[in-house]
Order: sequence, then C-alpha cells, then structure tokens
Amino acid sequence: MLVFVILAALVALPKLVTNPYALHLMILLFLAVAMGEAWNIVGGYCGQYSVGHAAYFGVGAYATLMLLQYRQVAPWWGVWGAIAAALMISVVIGSICFRLRGPYFVLASIAVAEIIRLVVLNWKQFTNGAEGILLVDIPPLKLGQTLITDWLSKTPFYYLGLALALSTLLVNYLVLHSKLGYYFQAIREDQDAAHSLGINLTFYKNAALAISALFTALSGVFYGLYIGFIDPPGVLGLDTSVQMVLICIIGGIGTILGPVVGALVLVPLSEVLRANLLSKALFVLGLVKETSRLGNFLKENLAHAHVLIYGILVVVVILYMPDGVLGFLRKLLARNVRPLAPSSRPVVGDLDGPA
Amino acid sequence: MALLEIKHVFKFFGGLAANSDIDVSVESGMILGLIGPNGSGKTTLFNCITGYYPPSKGEIIFKGQRLNGLQPDRVCKLGMARTWQKVRPLAKLTVLDNVMVGALARTSSLKVARDAAMEQLRSMRMEEKAQRLAGGLSIGERKKLEVARVLATKPELLLLDEVMGGLNPAESEEIIQLILQIKKRGLTQMVIEHDMKAIMRISDWVVVLNSGEKLAEGEPAQVVRNPAVITAYLGDANVA
Repeated sequence: MLVFVILAALVALPKLVTNPYALHLMILLFLAVAMGEAWNIVGGYCGQYSVGHAAYFGVGAYATLMLLQYRQVAPWWGVWGAIAAALMISVVIGSICFRLRGPYFVLASIAVAEIIRLVVLNWKQFTNGAEGILLVDIPPLKLGQTLITDWLSKTPFYYLGLALALSTLLVNYLVLHSKLGYYFQAIREDQDAAHSLGINLTFYKNAALAISALFTALSGVFYGLYIGFIDPPGVLGLDTSVQMVLICIIGGIGTILGPVVGALVLVPLSEVLRANLLSKALFVLGLVKETSRLGNFLKENLAHAHVLIYGILVVVVILYMPDGVLGFLRKLLARNVRPLAPSSRPVVGDLDGPA
Repeated sequence: MALLEIKHVFKFFGGLAANSDIDVSVESGMILGLIGPNGSGKTTLFNCITGYYPPSKGEIIFKGQRLNGLQPDRVCKLGMARTWQKVRPLAKLTVLDNVMVGALARTSSLKVARDAAMEQLRSMRMEEKAQRLAGGLSIGERKKLEVARVLATKPELLLLDEVMGGLNPAESEEIIQLILQIKKRGLTQMVIEHDMKAIMRISDWVVVLNSGEKLAEGEPAQVVRNPAVITAYLGDANVA
C-alpha cells in the first residue's frame, strides 16, 4: 500500500514541482539508487567487494556517447552496444579477478578498472583522451510519427531515471527470490562450504558480476546522456567505484532497500557539501563566527572536504551501525515494538564467526 | 564393484607426504570408519576425494568414474557430499535457507527445495529451528545442520568429518543414532572420528592412518587388537 502511494507520488512529482533543481536532485537520487542496487548484486549478495565498478559505468557511458557522437547512432540503439561492451569486459575482469579471494580480489578489481581508465585516457584518437566527450544533443525520440520526447527539459530524464532505479530494485528482488540469490549468499557466507554443496563458484560469481555490470553500465549510459559530458576521471575514476560501495555500506549491504537508504543519505549530503551549506549552517546557528579565522577557514575548505566527511561517515557507520542505516533503523524499531522480548536480543554463542 | 575406490593415492605438500600410497575401497551401504592420530592425513584424504586438492599421484574412482581433478561442485553433483570438521554454517542465512542451498543442487525450483529442506529438518527434529539464523545455533545444532544440509544434496556417499567433535555425550549419542538411521536408508558413509567407542559401534570396516600412511584396516574388533595400531595410539610400552 505504502509502496503504491510512494510510486504514485514519484510519478506525479514532475507535474507538481517545476523547480529544475528539485528535479535535478531527484534524478541524482535515482542514479545513486541504480548504481547502489547494481553493485549490491555482486557486492552485497555474492560478497565480492568489487571496487572497480567504474569500469562498467565508464564503458557504458563511453560506448553510448561515442556511438552517438562519432557514428550518429541514437542512444536507444547505442545502449545495446554499451551493454554488450560491459558484459564482455565483465567476463574478462571476472575471469581474472575471481581467481583471487577477499582483499586480493578487491585490489585486483581496482587495478583492472585503473587499467581501463588509463587506456581511455591515452587512446586519444579513439576516445578523445583527457578532453572527454561533450554531447551536442540527443536526437528526439519518436514512435512512428508521434514525438515522445525531445530531451529538452529535465522531465524525460526524471522518468528515465525513475524507470532505471525501479528496474534495478526489481532485479534485486528477483535475484534474491530465486536460486541465484540463494547461491550468491551461500558464496558470500562461505565459499568452500558453497563449493561442497554443488555450487559452481566461477559460474555463479561471474553471473553475479555480469548482472551487476549490466545495470552499472545502464547507469553510466544514463549519467552520460543526462550530464552531457564525460571524461576519464569523471566516469572511470576510483571515486565512482567507491561511491557505489559507499551507497551500499552506508545504507545496508546485501539488502534490497539498503542502497535506497544509502542514496537518501549520500546524495543530499554531497549537495549540501557542494553548496557549502554546512559552513553556512554553522554560521547561522551561531556556533562559529563567519568573520573569525576558523570561520574563514571553514568557508574556504569545507566544500572541498567531501572526501573527509564521507570517510568520517563510513567510520561512524561501520563502528556503530554495522548493518548500515537500514539495519540500525530496523533494530531500533524491533526494540521499541517488543522492548523485552527475548528473541529481539542479539543472539549470543557465535563461536567461530567473524567478530 | 566398490562404490568408491581410492587407488594408491599420494598427496604431497612440498616435501611432506600428507597421504602416502593410500589404498581403500568403500563398498556400497557400509560405514567405513577412518581413524588415526592427529595429523595422520584423514582430512587431507577427504579433501582429495571431494576435489579440494587434486591427488599428487593415484586415482580416485567413484561409481566407475575417475574423480581426479574434478571440482568439488561436480563431485557433489555426482552424489558425494562432505561435512567439515570445523563447521561452516552460512551464518547470516536461516537454518531452513542453509538446507535449501543443499537441496538446490538437485532442483531449480525454490518451492521444491523448500519442501525438501523442511522435510529433511523434520526428519531430524530440527523444524522448530527452521527460521533461526544458523550463526546463532549451539555447536551441537550446527553439527546437525551440517548433516542436514549435505543430506539435502541427495548423496549416495556421505563423508562425515568429526561430526561428534566437541559434543557432549547426549549429543554424540544423537549423532550416532542419526548415522545408523542414514545407513538404514541405504546410504554409504565414510566417517572420521576420534571417539573410539563410537567408531567401534557404527563401523563395518575401519581404516587406520598414521603419518599419512595406511597402518591397518579390518573389522573394528580386529583393528583394536592390532599391535601396530596400539603402538601408534599409545606408544611402544603399552603393547602387551
């Protein structure tokens, strides 16, 4: 019921709100949800912490925009090229990185993504190198003779983003409620045990990565079309990979709604930091005088300190909310509903599980 | 022909022979007890049989098929399942989900797997625990869960690696009854155990390993009287 109300509100929103900044925020939110949910499949369910997902994001964006700019292929055809490219590199990356486990897998995933970034950066004739690709305009989408959209306002991107976010949520739901979900989680919990229970580790890890890569690439395509400019550090850099992981860790890793909560925390936070609202808030609240030395320092530097603040946030979440904000809220709720029921207490007796 | 034939299997780790010329055949329907002091190569042999290590030399033949180099998931699909000495519950999944993962080796339908898993838990009187997280079980319950989970993969040959280790006498007795019950259903079992009384009670055939080599084999009553076995366990002074 609540789901339908939220859905109806989201569908109706562009009709009610015309403020472009508000729509822009919502679009960023949808993008963050899609990226988090996409990463969640391989990182959250299958437990393979890839910190190289920028590779799929960037390749998706580059494939579509290059096809559009250099070959005049409309993005709704180009997107298939993007998907094919992302799936192809996911097979290559998977077959390299899945030979390794745990931290070694993480490092290898970063290394492979960096290799792709450097190739795109240096292969100037093909990718335009560090200058990136500036999208001139997207051809209008027509069905027969009827114009569906000319891409001139934010509204079509809003609905496209909403559809993308919803489809990643749906894919998460379908994966979790199928054999794949059980096998992915078994691999996350204990690879060797999973192997002995008839689970082909290579196949299922690569399947998780492929599904994840597909939707990461779609997010990249969406980003490229919406922002209209891509360059190697912007779409292929480590920042993008880390952001996808952060959305999940902060929201709640390995849950369907975790990345949504993570996006709801991170997107507003990054906007607040970008607009330097944090230092303004400190001045307005009278905690720091704007004219004091500290005030000046904060005003100049706080906007650039987003990485520092993300870092602090991650430390706080890991220390105090190991199941993410979503897990924390659930625990609070359970405690308030049944304050003294024995089953709501944490289970003790975990003899050899990880601390 | 024997269900499982281990033919002159060697396993080297560097210069160390963890298994050296092991030759054992497991007949269909029997319980084979595998005993030996710590470090005698029992678990290594299990790992070689189930595909975790390829044997350095020798052959492992299951139902007439050569297993050498086959991955553990393939071995499981062929009808051989093992438990782990150090239990490996899928901690963040429920007990039912743990068993379902086993059952999914034989079906792709979640409903079929859920029914089979529930049936398995019921037959082991664990159905009230079905919705508990596996990470929250006691050690005795975890050992039972290990067995329930491998039984759900519908094996013909079960390899149990110290399922009674760390259990109190009542829990051990429950496992012994479970092993005998599994035998009645026609399954073949290879059991590693330190509890000699238990091994004597359940085994049809006992194989003794020592320092990676097969020291002796025979019916339980013969093996315990074998001077070489007594020496290996208790030292020279105790040989009458």
